[in-house]
Amino acid sequence: MTTIEYLMNGFGTALIWYNLLFAFVGVLIGTAVGVLPGIGPMSGVALLIPVTATITGGLPPEQAATSAIILLAGVYYGAMYGGSTTSILLNTPGESSSVVTTLDGYQMAKKGRAGSALSIAAIGSFVGGAVTIIAMVLLAEPLSNIALKFGPAEYFSLMLLGLAAVSGLAGKSVTKALMMTICGLLIGTIGIDNVSGIARFTFDIPWLYQGIEFLTIAVGLFALGEVFKTILEKEEEEEDIAKINNLLPSKSELKESAGPIARGSILGFFIGILPGAGATLASFFSYLTEKRISKTPEKFGTGTIAGVAAPETANNAASGGAMIPLLTLGIPGSGTTAILMGALMMYNVQPGPLLFDEHPDVAWGLIASMFIGNIMLLILNLPLVKVFAKIILTPKKYLLPIIIAISIFGVYAVQVSTYDLLLLLACGGLGYFLSKNDYPIAPLVLGLVLGPMIENNMRRALTITDGDYSIFFTRPLSLTFLIITALWLLIPVFMKMKGKKVIINVEG
Amino acid sequence: MDIKFDRCAAVVFLAVGLLSVIGSRGIASSSYGSVVGPDIFPLFLGILLMILAIRLFYETFQVSRSAGKKEKLRYKPFFIIFIATLLYILTLETIGYVITTFVFLFICFQTMEKGKWVTSLIISAGFSGVIYFLFVNVLKGTLPGWPIWFS
Repeated sequence: MTTIEYLMNGFGTALIWYNLLFAFVGVLIGTAVGVLPGIGPMSGVALLIPVTATITGGLPPEQAATSAIILLAGVYYGAMYGGSTTSILLNTPGESSSVVTTLDGYQMAKKGRAGSALSIAAIGSFVGGAVTIIAMVLLAEPLSNIALKFGPAEYFSLMLLGLAAVSGLAGKSVTKALMMTICGLLIGTIGIDNVSGIARFTFDIPWLYQGIEFLTIAVGLFALGEVFKTILEKEEEEEDIAKINNLLPSKSELKESAGPIARGSILGFFIGILPGAGATLASFFSYLTEKRISKTPEKFGTGTIAGVAAPETANNAASGGAMIPLLTLGIPGSGTTAILMGALMMYNVQPGPLLFDEHPDVAWGLIASMFIGNIMLLILNLPLVKVFAKIILTPKKYLLPIIIAISIFGVYAVQVSTYDLLLLLACGGLGYFLSKNDYPIAPLVLGLVLGPMIENNMRRALTITDGDYSIFFTRPLSLTFLIITALWLLIPVFMKMKGKKVIINVEG
Repeated sequence: MDIKFDRCAAVVFLAVGLLSVIGSRGIASSSYGSVVGPDIFPLFLGILLMILAIRLFYETFQVSRSAGKKEKLRYKPFFIIFIATLLYILTLETIGYVITTFVFLFICFQTMEKGKWVTSLIISAGFSGVIYFLFVNVLKGTLPGWPIWFS
């Protein structure tokens, strides 16, 4: 079958009524998650995994996986749309990826141009999303064909690269980020070893034999951690929501933002593909680029439409681009994609080069649904933006306890174990204290998801060579990956020594 | 950034690394047909973690003691909600989902902000009832519904 045929089949899957419904619910919740400052895309997706798992329980496994991933991915890119709304109207970014949007967006709103800022943000997001989906369609086959040629040694090195990239960009201190990665990998070794069947670090406790469930850790660290943070550091800030007058941008505004949108899509897409660099970095870079090439750079920060169009396009393009390494190589480049990968693995669907051969429905259905989801978001966001802006007024007093209750319900529904709930609560507390002290959490989850795969590939590579570690350095591709890994970790250290500022990625 | 926290964390991580090194030495070192046993990977990780922990400990001495602004944390509601969550988890299987969820939500709502009894009561009752009904009756899932001594 050709790519076009696969894509058509994908649309066939995505257009089944319940998948349309799943996509719609996903983008709707995603927009809400984007608007609410307390919940980011990571905790939103983590919270919804158990909920979708129970809803899709009645479907056959493969269809259940498709529907679940359609919903979860919808939350992910929907959050990118929603984040802009509060940045523009309230000067409070809902996500870290729309922090830059506040610079010009809020200024525009102050001048009474909130409507055009919002609609340009929505249009830009749509274009960015659409461009990446087309690029994804074109790149998926060739990339997964290359990946099929990888042996265990190449995989091991590539995954090390992925981990290093995420840790290198994850927080203020690379040491702390690496420690969290190692902790994630170590937690991943708990349980019965896949290869030899020997129990490791189980201390004869039956509950530990199946290993620590990724879901419990992710929901605890992200969702509960953020809830505890909001409870402890309550800030009372009541700001007026800017009025939205005319929703449609004028012709000159459209013309002005065409360039930034085009550049933002391409830049965002390529930054998204890079492991470790996510939507936040993409939005920063595209804003800076626009400022640099603009004829009137002094206008940036005073409410120019290019300053809204570029970052909003780029963060959406990046969230699509981040799906490419996940789907074709099986290597998530960020916290949120790591959680998506964990969700797929719960359904026994292994992301990676074989995904397009073994589960074409899942892969192409997802790609097609992202296209449909983006159209839904555009339709949803333009007329309903006022409704979404009201979501931010949801009293925290009701929201926070309900998030705790949903986490507990979700984990219990999937795991049916009180031990998991206790672990969940402990992770919530840990998540708060760790991220408060600059220990990034995303690398830990990434390590936990990738750990067993890294170990299996390492042992397979070493079994081939009878324990000779030189295989990782003699195979050219593997060596290349290892060199990039080393550079990725070492260059920032040297740059810091020279007194240069290193850009970091706060999101996941 | 809290230097004290970092030092304690470095010591804890060092201990974790050491324990996993010790623990991995207790795991069989080879499995049938392979010279690379299940002990290698955790052993490496343990050693790496120890090295990183020592580096973190060393880094804490380099950072100049910056006087961070002291934020006021609201510990009281946090502890009440934390304890409430713990009790909720521990009693979930014996008293059942509907009653525990209702009580838990009500306590949390009132902790976050006193007053508006009726709204709190309605939302907590609504949430626990709707979730239980949807999950058990519509989706046919299993949840401990009511106290065990009822059934």
